[in-house]
Amino acid sequence: MAEVKTATTTAVKEPLFGKKERKLITDPLYDNNPITIQVLGICSALAVTSLVWPSLVISVAVVFVCGFASLFTSLLRNRIPKSIRMIVQLVIIATLVTVVELTLKYLSYPVYKQLSVYIGLIITNCIVMGRLEAFAMANRPWRSFLDGIGNGLGYGAILLLVALFRELFGKGSLFAGSPLGEWKIIGPNADYTINTLAESGIGTWFSWYSNNNLMVLPAAAMFLIGIFIWIQRSWTPKLVDVS
Amino acid sequence: MDFFNIFIKAAFIDNLVLAYFLGMCSYLAVSKTVKTAFGLGLAVIFVLGITMPINWLINTYLLDGAINGLDLTFLRLILFIAVIASMVQLVEMVIEKISPALYNSLGIFLPLITVNCAILGGSLFMVAREYNFTESLAFGLGGGFGWFLAIIAIAAIREKIKYSDVPPALRGLGMAFILTGLMGIAFMSLMGIDPAALTGTK
Amino acid sequence: MERTGYIVLFTLAMTVLVALTLSFLFYGTKDQVAINEDVFNKRAVLSAINSHLDTKVDDLNDEEVLGIFDKQIEQVVLDMDGDVLDGVKAEKVDMAKEKKKPEADRQLPLYVYNADGGNKFYILSVRGNGLWDEIWGNIALEQDLSTVVGASFDHKGETPGLGAEIKDNPAFARQFKGTKIFDDNGNYTSINVRKGGAKDRTHEVDGISGATVTADGVGEMLYRGIKYYQPYFNKIKSPSKIRG
Repeated sequence: MAEVKTATTTAVKEPLFGKKERKLITDPLYDNNPITIQVLGICSALAVTSLVWPSLVISVAVVFVCGFASLFTSLLRNRIPKSIRMIVQLVIIATLVTVVELTLKYLSYPVYKQLSVYIGLIITNCIVMGRLEAFAMANRPWRSFLDGIGNGLGYGAILLLVALFRELFGKGSLFAGSPLGEWKIIGPNADYTINTLAESGIGTWFSWYSNNNLMVLPAAAMFLIGIFIWIQRSWTPKLVDVS
Repeated sequence: MDFFNIFIKAAFIDNLVLAYFLGMCSYLAVSKTVKTAFGLGLAVIFVLGITMPINWLINTYLLDGAINGLDLTFLRLILFIAVIASMVQLVEMVIEKISPALYNSLGIFLPLITVNCAILGGSLFMVAREYNFTESLAFGLGGGFGWFLAIIAIAAIREKIKYSDVPPALRGLGMAFILTGLMGIAFMSLMGIDPAALTGTK
Repeated sequence: MERTGYIVLFTLAMTVLVALTLSFLFYGTKDQVAINEDVFNKRAVLSAINSHLDTKVDDLNDEEVLGIFDKQIEQVVLDMDGDVLDGVKAEKVDMAKEKKKPEADRQLPLYVYNADGGNKFYILSVRGNGLWDEIWGNIALEQDLSTVVGASFDHKGETPGLGAEIKDNPAFARQFKGTKIFDDNGNYTSINVRKGGAKDRTHEVDGISGATVTADGVGEMLYRGIKYYQPYFNKIKSPSKIRG
């Protein structure tokens, strides 16, 4: 579990973006990443990582929910009755997720259709709940908010990294299904890198590539995360799991 | 589709962990020994089997325009999670009263189940796939059973792999992820099996 | 620790607050969401005749999509005997519900697109099973009621990158253009989705590697789905023409 130092409530006015505050955002990105270190929130959303675009939407949604759930919980932290703490946290999260769902339906119906069940599953994304318990219940609103945002970002970073590999090697493209349009990057039909390369005389580099169907299978996400963990822990030996 | 088909499909073909990644957190955290995995697995079957039919009743008779044609579907997420949280609490209390021995082996996992995505995921899939009452019961039990199988299997492998020479950086979590991936591929060989053909209802 | 009264009060306050916020949001967005959904479904229908539209479906804005539906599309609902049902619009037919009914009781939505040149295109809706869950699509026929103009597909939960390619990969749907659902002798063949590549381009299209079950599902759905419309088509075809 995360070993987050409980911020001591000091009489000194805290700066908006002091060193500690920045650390709250940057820590979860690598040293205390929710997925690879805290083992939280692997659940639901990994199933959307076969494409970059839905992963991006889910990441933004998680950052939003995580940040604001932390904020509201922290604001209410001294008023929430201990015995119904869990339910109250869940209601806060569920409300925010419903807000996200309605917003998506309103703004971009096709994206909503694409993600339908997974949006709802942000509720049970353990990161949100985990941060509320570990941090927001004991810290001031602004810091909790940053902590939530940071953890959402750390989660989103892994999600996007996985999606990047899976879509690029599994489909040869990026951003399929997004308003940006699909970028065919590698493979015989590539109309992005390859053409520009051909024009510049370098020739076609990756046109021999045929899509790797393993990458589109759910299992590929597991392999990729396993490999990320491997790399991260080799670089930073202090993170190695002794058990 | 009949009860048995949905059960088989949910347990083996649409496995909640291996095909949809649902309930990964507790799956990875509590799969270090088979004994604890067994306890959590049973608890998941239990809670999924109870909450799915209840959530079905709520969805059909309260939310879906049943009261004066009011569309209350926007309250779905909140109600589902509330049902799950309170059911978990209730199950915990009942087990504590009836069988303290079972409570001791299972009790610590019960609160974990509230945030197990497989439970809420099950209910949401049920709505998305428009199951009826018996189908949702079958899906709940089958999904729970599939989850149970997956966690027992990974726990058994993790117990054995302690004796293998895994690179230090990959030990523990990293290896668990890769193993899950391999199990997912193994389960994929069950894909495309038509349960209806097996049971002769088609 | 805390008094029960406080807990009850807290719960009540929270419930009221949450319910109010959400209902406010829900009813505030409801109308726009209904329009979004409508446009979403209509785009799917139109994308079957994408090649015959002046502007491609993706480039049309929402009003234009609704405009085409208002001006150029006749919406017909048929029963299984090929008779037109009065007073129903095709867009009101819920294919998911129809699929659950016994075959004889189903209603079939048919969209007839009146192109600017006086040509008519018939857009049929079909629904079937993929690997995980239901798949559906729209397929457009030319006036000869045999040549396919285009098709669009969608699915509930096929594997992204494999089965989901029926929707995500425009090349899959594009293959259908120019295929025929009748052979030269006037026998119904539908369009087969063949694993490993189509041999006869007039009646077959390529499958998707790694997604055999979904591809077979598409083939089966088309065979059955298009056949449902034949009683009606036989009625509107002149008797001298080939029989289905």
